[in-house]
Amino acid sequence: MIAERTKRAARPSLYEPVVARIRSVTKQTDSEMLFDIALPEGRPLGHQPGQFVQVLVPGVGECPISICTSPTRADSFGLCVRRVGDVTAHLHGLGAGDTVGIRGPLGRGFNLAEFIGRDVLIVAGGLGLAPVRSLIQYILDERANFGRFSLLYGARNPSELLFRADLVRWRERKDMNFHVTVDKPDDDWRGHSGVVTTLFRELPALDPSTRVVVVGPPVMFKFVVLEVLARRIPQKQLYCSLERRMKCGVGKCGHCQVNHVYVCMEGPVFTYGELKAIREAFE
Amino acid sequence: MLDRVVHRTDLSALIDELARTRRIVGPVKHEDRFFYEAVDRAGRLDLDFTYCVYSPKAQLLPPKETLLTFDRTTGNFTCHPLYDERPTVLAGVHPCDLHAIKLLDHVFGAEHADEQYLSRRRHMFLIGIDCPHPCTAGVFCRDMHAHVADSGFDLMCYPLERDQAGRTVRYGVQVGTTAGQEAILYGRVGTPPTPEAEQHLARYQAEKDRAFPKAIPVDSAGLPGLLAKSYDSLLWEATARRCYSCGSCNLVCPTCYCFDIHDDGALGGNGGERVREWDGCQLRGFAEVAGPHNFRPKPGSRLRHRVFRKGKWILERTGLPGCVGCARCDRACTARISLVDMYKQLAEEV
Amino acid sequence: MKPRIAIFSLTGCEGCSLAILELEDQLLAVLDAVEIVNFREGMTERAWDIDIGFVDGAVSTPGDEAEIRHYRESCKVLVAIGACACLGGINTLKNHQLAAEYRGYVYGERAAWFPTTAARPIAAVVKVDYELPGCPMVKEEFLRFVKHLLAGRQFRLPDYAVCVECKKRGNPCLYDRGVVCLGPMTRAGCDAICPTYGSKCEACRGIVSPEALAAAALNLRDQYHVPQEEVLAGLRLYGAYQEEKLP
Repeated sequence: MIAERTKRAARPSLYEPVVARIRSVTKQTDSEMLFDIALPEGRPLGHQPGQFVQVLVPGVGECPISICTSPTRADSFGLCVRRVGDVTAHLHGLGAGDTVGIRGPLGRGFNLAEFIGRDVLIVAGGLGLAPVRSLIQYILDERANFGRFSLLYGARNPSELLFRADLVRWRERKDMNFHVTVDKPDDDWRGHSGVVTTLFRELPALDPSTRVVVVGPPVMFKFVVLEVLARRIPQKQLYCSLERRMKCGVGKCGHCQVNHVYVCMEGPVFTYGELKAIREAFE
Repeated sequence: MLDRVVHRTDLSALIDELARTRRIVGPVKHEDRFFYEAVDRAGRLDLDFTYCVYSPKAQLLPPKETLLTFDRTTGNFTCHPLYDERPTVLAGVHPCDLHAIKLLDHVFGAEHADEQYLSRRRHMFLIGIDCPHPCTAGVFCRDMHAHVADSGFDLMCYPLERDQAGRTVRYGVQVGTTAGQEAILYGRVGTPPTPEAEQHLARYQAEKDRAFPKAIPVDSAGLPGLLAKSYDSLLWEATARRCYSCGSCNLVCPTCYCFDIHDDGALGGNGGERVREWDGCQLRGFAEVAGPHNFRPKPGSRLRHRVFRKGKWILERTGLPGCVGCARCDRACTARISLVDMYKQLAEEV
Repeated sequence: MKPRIAIFSLTGCEGCSLAILELEDQLLAVLDAVEIVNFREGMTERAWDIDIGFVDGAVSTPGDEAEIRHYRESCKVLVAIGACACLGGINTLKNHQLAAEYRGYVYGERAAWFPTTAARPIAAVVKVDYELPGCPMVKEEFLRFVKHLLAGRQFRLPDYAVCVECKKRGNPCLYDRGVVCLGPMTRAGCDAICPTYGSKCEACRGIVSPEALAAAALNLRDQYHVPQEEVLAGLRLYGAYQEEKLP
């Protein structure tokens, strides 16, 4: 059998980023900064809520960051960056007008078709609010397309609360059911305290067709899943987002692989039903 | 079906002809072992090689390569990807390694095409050499159905006749691509196959079939099932007690393609590069994220991960075997951890 | 402001300090980026307000101990360079012999004039911020360290074994020739220079991980029939391992 040898296609390198400009940087907490980033010529990123990008600081390296704004707000996008390593530390040193490299959007986000027309409950812990904020914004921007919408958010203490301006606005909205809690309140804290599962008491009864999103640290995840499953929500309606070492972002380099799954390709968003088959995700 | 019959000197001449516009890379003998090396003429190659210590992976996915250079100016930077488009004739690739290259082609060529890999691959002319018998003890290519290859080459050479010194003097050649066809036509090498040559090939293949024994209790199709039952086996942790986590098994493997990317800036100045380098799932820091948090800290989990990739996950994901049975991993392991042994032990457990 | 650099030597051959001068074409770029304010091998001036101090040699005498404490106080960042400073190095061979014997052997009748202690890595005496191991220190790693520091990047030593570098270079494995090389348990970063030239690795960059050491204890005895004393003797050459027993 004679096969044609592939012809050279004029495609760019997978690893070449788009040079994007930082429009503003807003301090969120002592360790988190919010970056507003615009692609050249105001091009939209074209992402789905739940997807991520690889951010390059040339000379330092790349790191995966989830997109924390909705595609409905298209002329720029937001990245909430916690200072944990080399690249994030250098990102924190950048300001408005500086440039970074962006590859993406990457990965699989929330399957919006599954959410439209349904009640939605989002439970976020700590930095977990960042990846779900894109979905929250999307739902609020397209509010008529969704049923009842509830958001429960927990942080360790008041100083670690993210997106404070959002929290104020969300609390005022009549078309969403929003509750926030901190594990360890300080003297000024007037709100709810306790772990995020204690907020389930504030919720109305869940319709069995509710789509639930849980994103947060592993300890929180298990207890929230128990609360949700106890309310007879099917596992395929329960969504979460996995953190792994995404490096190439395109299913090749192997770093983010968990059992048979590449988190950068099949994830980072998974249903709990899918996740159960990925044993290593819970190890 | 043969397309041509060539004498060993014809094959040499053909490679030299191809090399008028290409580099030549092929097996070269050092002491008693063979290594893929760039040479200036075909005469330096040893096409009757047993096996090359390292697979031809490095010719397509080098241990270290610059993916792009960058240049920073105040408040801005530019990137320039680099492509290696040197035409190369890779002469002397056994069926197992041809299967491995097929997998690399799939991984880097299918979804999200990797132009840095593909530019190298498109400029490579592949000459396969079939093996009449197992190249060394411990291989399990037959079990992986990788001891024969009917595609994935530009030309495939079957060693039909040997002289008294054991050197192949006549090859039956099968054409795999139009590039291969052109090389044969324009090179005007060899003669058209005779019915006698076809019979010779049939005899060769029958003998080959007898020469390659089954080495493990299941074949590539049975491995996913065997492994599915073995996820919780104690064998992983027990075997991994001997594991140095040195990654030699990954690095010598023709189908291990995992890599890392890091930045290297120049000292003083604004230039720098993003470099891709081989990585391996057996190395301790492979699944570590900033924080730091290691998602696969135990050697036993890492060993299981490698074996599942080789025997199950890659096959299920790509439809192509993730292991070609070359046993380079077994030979490279100074702790003598062996895939063949592990497969045998797992089969006894279930 | 260029960082102010000092290079000091305790007990050792000072080859690691010299390795800095051997950077050749890169040396000028380094000198352009930093200011060397105290370096006995290369200059006469001495200054003591130091940003980064590089120290080679082991702490092997009471004098060394006083000096390293002084260096620590004078340097914002203290970097141990070479096997002696990082592991104790060749000097630690004496730790496994009787003091009276080796001192008599080395200094003869005047042994009392030269007080010595057991040889120790400098981290045993003062806090060390970074280590650049190897006998000698690897020039390229020194350069990488300087680049990282100037760029404000975190510097990390490779956390994998020498085998990785051997495989990337396409070296034949010395084990295939029956040579028990210490590469599988030794920290990489040297670009496998010894195996590349046919010599076995002798662990001058230290043991890469506790797991690798435990694996060595199993493999070398059971698979290669090397007695434990022999493995220990090999690992002690550069002070990579000081205990009486392997794990």
